[in-house]
Amino acid sequence: MSETSKKSPMDMVFASVTGIASFSVIIFIIGILYVLINESSLAIRQFGVIQFLTSADWDPVKNSFGALTNIYGTFLTTILSMVFAIPVAIGIAIFVTEISPNALKGPIGIAIELLAAIPSIIYGMWGLFTLSPIMSNYVEPFLKKITVGLPFVNIIFQGTPMGIDILTASVILSIMIIPFTASIARDSFNLTPSVVKESAYAIGATKWEVVKNVVLPYSKLGVFGGIVLSLGRALGETMAVAFVLGNNHRITTSLLDAAATITVTLANEFAEADTDIYLSSLFYLALVLFVMSFITLAIAKFFLLKAERKYSR
Amino acid sequence: MLEQIELRVKGLNFYYSGGIHALKQINLPVHSKQVTALIGPSGCGKTTLLRCFNRMHDLYPGNRYEGEIHFVKDNILSPDTDLINLRSRIGMVFQKPTPFPMTIFDNIAYGLKLKGINKRAELSERVERALQHAALWDEAKDKLNSSAYDLSGGQQQRLVIARALAVNPEVLLFDEPTSALDPISTSKIEELFDKIKKDVTIIIVTHNMQQAARISDWTGFMMLGELVEFDTTDKIFTAPAEKLTEDYVTGRFG
Amino acid sequence: MMTHERKRRIEGIIALTFSTLAAFLGLFWLVFILGDVLIHGVKALNLNLFLNDPAPAGVDGGGLRNAFVGQLMITICATLIGVPVGVLGGTFLAEYARGRTIARIISILADIMVSVPSIVIGTFIYAVMVKPIGHFSGWAGAIALAIIMVPVVLRTTEDMLSLVPWTIREAAFALGAPYHKVITQVVYRAAATGILTGILLSIARVAGETAPLLFTSFNNAYYSLNMNQPISSLTVTIFQYAMGPYDSWHSQAWAAAFVITIFILLLTITGRLIIKWRYR
Repeated sequence: MSETSKKSPMDMVFASVTGIASFSVIIFIIGILYVLINESSLAIRQFGVIQFLTSADWDPVKNSFGALTNIYGTFLTTILSMVFAIPVAIGIAIFVTEISPNALKGPIGIAIELLAAIPSIIYGMWGLFTLSPIMSNYVEPFLKKITVGLPFVNIIFQGTPMGIDILTASVILSIMIIPFTASIARDSFNLTPSVVKESAYAIGATKWEVVKNVVLPYSKLGVFGGIVLSLGRALGETMAVAFVLGNNHRITTSLLDAAATITVTLANEFAEADTDIYLSSLFYLALVLFVMSFITLAIAKFFLLKAERKYSR
Repeated sequence: MLEQIELRVKGLNFYYSGGIHALKQINLPVHSKQVTALIGPSGCGKTTLLRCFNRMHDLYPGNRYEGEIHFVKDNILSPDTDLINLRSRIGMVFQKPTPFPMTIFDNIAYGLKLKGINKRAELSERVERALQHAALWDEAKDKLNSSAYDLSGGQQQRLVIARALAVNPEVLLFDEPTSALDPISTSKIEELFDKIKKDVTIIIVTHNMQQAARISDWTGFMMLGELVEFDTTDKIFTAPAEKLTEDYVTGRFG
Repeated sequence: MMTHERKRRIEGIIALTFSTLAAFLGLFWLVFILGDVLIHGVKALNLNLFLNDPAPAGVDGGGLRNAFVGQLMITICATLIGVPVGVLGGTFLAEYARGRTIARIISILADIMVSVPSIVIGTFIYAVMVKPIGHFSGWAGAIALAIIMVPVVLRTTEDMLSLVPWTIREAAFALGAPYHKVITQVVYRAAATGILTGILLSIARVAGETAPLLFTSFNNAYYSLNMNQPISSLTVTIFQYAMGPYDSWHSQAWAAAFVITIFILLLTITGRLIIKWRYR
């Protein structure tokens, strides 16, 4: 094959064109990194790295910028949403692979795919118009009521329930992440050979014991990779949280307060940044987000590849 | 010698969820503390029959049994049968080794823990006994805490047998347990049968007629979902009553 | 002994009940969200929405013709740029670089790119296309979406081409065809449905993107076909209208959300059906 292909000039052209097209992926990544560093160089020079990451001062009026409030908001909403989403997603995966009658497997599988396909702006808008009133009228007052006397716990539910806050944003984010996590977990579960499951049944294990002791340990690499992948997605999600998080550059201890994530700050402030240092600081934020999510996604990919290799053995 | 019947199959019919009639009117006694082999060409229903004894077919919806299988006094095909209890009394070993994703020790302790045995000393003692029983102790005693996947294929299969033996089952079902193994591993496992049949009734499905002749006391020959002939192994291999059986054991077909 | 077994069983029942509840919770959200979008969307849907341009802020009536047209233009332009690059790139990985380390690396990087925050891509395009020119433009939005499409299309193309049996290529080589002809005339044809599905799903993916358009194509309250100028899109309009103070804006946002959701779900279902029909 190579003999003929080397002699045909058209083939050389086609090979080069496809080669350039595939290298575009590398060009994008390096390009993004280069451009973001370049654009944020002003802010990097002014605020440095450590100071930028640890300063909670985000003040466009004084032209003083630190990323901590944004990073704090990003981590808090991401972690909370993962805490809500992971048990539900694993539950769904267990239901679909082990419990559901065959007739229900298809419809639930499709429902998961469709939930995953709905664009994030729809989640965000729905959160603003539908979920946020429910949260402020029912859920949040209830949470306040049951935690009222508890030390420490009552701190995280301090303040007036407005529905535009960290808790609501995390709930929406978790609803959005659930289908994604569930479908990766389901695919990993399905890789457990049925004969290994059968042999656990054959010594008298119950269905739950088979799931807990055979299926979960067998697929833990894949499930873990899927969870980290979802985490990477949640870190960078903009529209699902932009509607209901407010845009509050303070570090708050209450989940009923508004906050800001990196993405929400970018979405709200980028187009109206009026000074060079302001815009440069926003680019700096984007750079931090890009590096953070790239590393997270790379870790996820590492585990997923490892899982794939293990199963194909 | 007074022979006891451990399991008695009466008028068993089995249908897969697609409606395929896989077992037709099977009647068969399984003698206690002896080895019963099921032989026959591929697709004859021998594995299907084996999987009726521990109701493995119940894991997949739509499968249907008719008839009875008596285990001591009870009909295990009755809908009231407690499957978890049944499967801890009738163990199974599969064609390919099926270690769980745990250490060697935990693999064997797993079934014991299910039975509520949690004391470390008792677990250790019973794990050791099971491993010795399955002739794996000498090879595995120094790496009880390493992953079961680190063992060779033949060792893994003996581990799985040890795991099945550890819970003291009354019956053990073997589904072509050596077909994925090399000859040396195979002979090690065949030696085991002689040793363990003092304690446990064995039913083995095999496509290897020499193996059936070597290790079993009783043999059933199956074809197209029917039990063509059942008798002592000697009789089946030397003087079968049915022409079909004779053709099969002399290698004229299949 | 009995109590231990009892405990095991009860634990099992509890755990499996929770899994079942989790599954129904997932279904519940789907029904809740889709139902909400459906009810509010249908109520706000009328012909004027598609035929009229927006009324002045706060005035009732008007439509979103500008946003529908703008969304369509941005998506089509993004597809015209992103799909060829993605398909050709996937071809290189599955054919010319098959089995090479470079193919593995690009493939892994593309997988990571698929999940990189889309708003970061918006900031990137702002820096290279909006800032130097001095104003927002439809092209900037289209290229931002195209960058999101490329890795999606590239990976599906690579996977689909890899599924084509090598013997088919050998048969074509045996007739004396050069490799590029083998690819374009034989391999592409064998993998056509799979690649098409990947394209459909990638369009579904970018059609709902908002974040990368916020500061690239920006928004435009007027009807415009000029891709060199800011151009309106449904998604950015939804963001602006939903966050705005007027009830008429809110109901138009629901209507726009309804249209875009239906469009994306139809694309997704079509893609899934093709996969089911072709690969099972």
